[in-house]
Amino acid sequence: MAAERTVNTSATGSTAAVHVDTTAKWFLLSAVTYFFIVGIIAVIIAAKFVWPEMLGTIAPLTYGRLRPLHVNGMLFGWLLAADMGLTYYVVPRLCGVKLWSEKLGVATGILWNVIILGAVVSLLAGWNQGFEYAELPLVLDVLVVVAWLMFGANIFGTIYTRKYQQMYVSTWYMMGTILWTAFVYLTGNFATLLTTGVNQANLNWMYVHNAVGLIFTPVGLALAYYFIPKSANVPLYSHKLSMIGFWSLAFFYVWTGAHHMLHGPISQWLQTIAIAFSLMLLVPVWSVVYNFFATMKGHWPKTRDNVQLKFLMSGVVFYLLTCFQGPMHSLRTVNAIVSKTDWIPGHAHMAVLGAFSFFAIAGTYYVIPRMFNVKIHSEPLANWSYWFLMIGGLGFFVTLWLGGFWQGWQWNNPAIPFIDTVIALKPVWIVRFFSGIFMFTGITLFLYNIMATVVDSGGAKAEVQA
Amino acid sequence: MDYTYPSVFFSYLVFFLFLFVALYFFFRSFRDGYWGAESEDVKYQVFADEESNDGKRAS
Repeated sequence: MAAERTVNTSATGSTAAVHVDTTAKWFLLSAVTYFFIVGIIAVIIAAKFVWPEMLGTIAPLTYGRLRPLHVNGMLFGWLLAADMGLTYYVVPRLCGVKLWSEKLGVATGILWNVIILGAVVSLLAGWNQGFEYAELPLVLDVLVVVAWLMFGANIFGTIYTRKYQQMYVSTWYMMGTILWTAFVYLTGNFATLLTTGVNQANLNWMYVHNAVGLIFTPVGLALAYYFIPKSANVPLYSHKLSMIGFWSLAFFYVWTGAHHMLHGPISQWLQTIAIAFSLMLLVPVWSVVYNFFATMKGHWPKTRDNVQLKFLMSGVVFYLLTCFQGPMHSLRTVNAIVSKTDWIPGHAHMAVLGAFSFFAIAGTYYVIPRMFNVKIHSEPLANWSYWFLMIGGLGFFVTLWLGGFWQGWQWNNPAIPFIDTVIALKPVWIVRFFSGIFMFTGITLFLYNIMATVVDSGGAKAEVQA
Repeated sequence: MDYTYPSVFFSYLVFFLFLFVALYFFFRSFRDGYWGAESEDVKYQVFADEESNDGKRAS
């Protein structure tokens, strides 16, 4: 059993900085609001699978307009904004100094909101570049690059002025996220415009895969490495092992994007490299998951009364499952069945919602009461938000895996007309819709609890002043 | 214009570049003390803030 932590002041130094956290508050409250708004879009899309005639032919409300809005809204409006907000909270604390510039941080937050609102308008208006995950028009892409430079300058500026020479693994992952996002985003949103055909498709899939693998994975793991020890009040099992996970992820991940093009018109050597590196991903994944499980050894009962730990450790299990699925469906034989089927959104949602959004929700539940100096509005409500998201998520993931496999078997039989495979999936999409209602209820409770906590802090201040 | 071979050579270049950078920082991490006897001390940084500053925040 890992020991309850003991203070090691020689390692941590003495006094710590006083944190303002204005930037973190801005980002987190915006992110939670977008989570709710885009959640409505998600439910509408899920309903359209079951009732395709719903909302008629009004262009901004068609599936083709709403789906990119859902994807971009969840990825950049909710998850990346929440991850950035939590980074603004975590990095100064790990470095023992104040954030390099709160003014720059607030300016970044305002620009980020302009980008998200611009995305809502442009995507609903059909102004779309037509690339998966890179639908935003060019002018918004440029603004994302500017915002990312501002974010990077602030975080690297904070790290440069740090009090401790050695950096905790979360800091490494957050630095990696900033550098890799720059590389991945520029490739996916600008380099793709300079090429055509197969090369363009290849670059796009490299971007799509690494948007998850080199943006949301490293920052998500950074949060898990910070909030699991914090929430369980126990030190990480092994920092050395965490370093192995970081460097192996840094080396292996970038090569895997071409596995989206298996059996497609790309060279066999590129497909084989993508498969080999996808399998090698099991090294960083297992080093991360083993470290978290070993940290929690003997401390699992704490998950009963600690909603952050519930989200965090469920996220770790989903991370393990999704990262086992990934290498397995990169194999040519498995890929021939599941590629392009409903299996893929089941897999993607388990990564982005089940793992990384769970880490971000846990972090938000942890930091909001601390930043606003008040208790969480309602612990039971927080638990309910966990169970709604968990049950809805499980229903969604499992149904789409089974449905996707079924769909893949049907597609591999040329005797079955395509439209029959669509009709056959209707029961799957009904379960998907009701799972979505569960998840949206969880998101609503999460939003209400966070906003009520912020409102409570205002009341507490007024009482003190009175 | 056939871009196949330039793209292959470019991917080899990027591959070796990544390998070189990863190996450089890996060996440098020995010098910076990430693998030594006291390398695990860094994990207590997570708790440094609360031990000296829990709850204190500028208003």
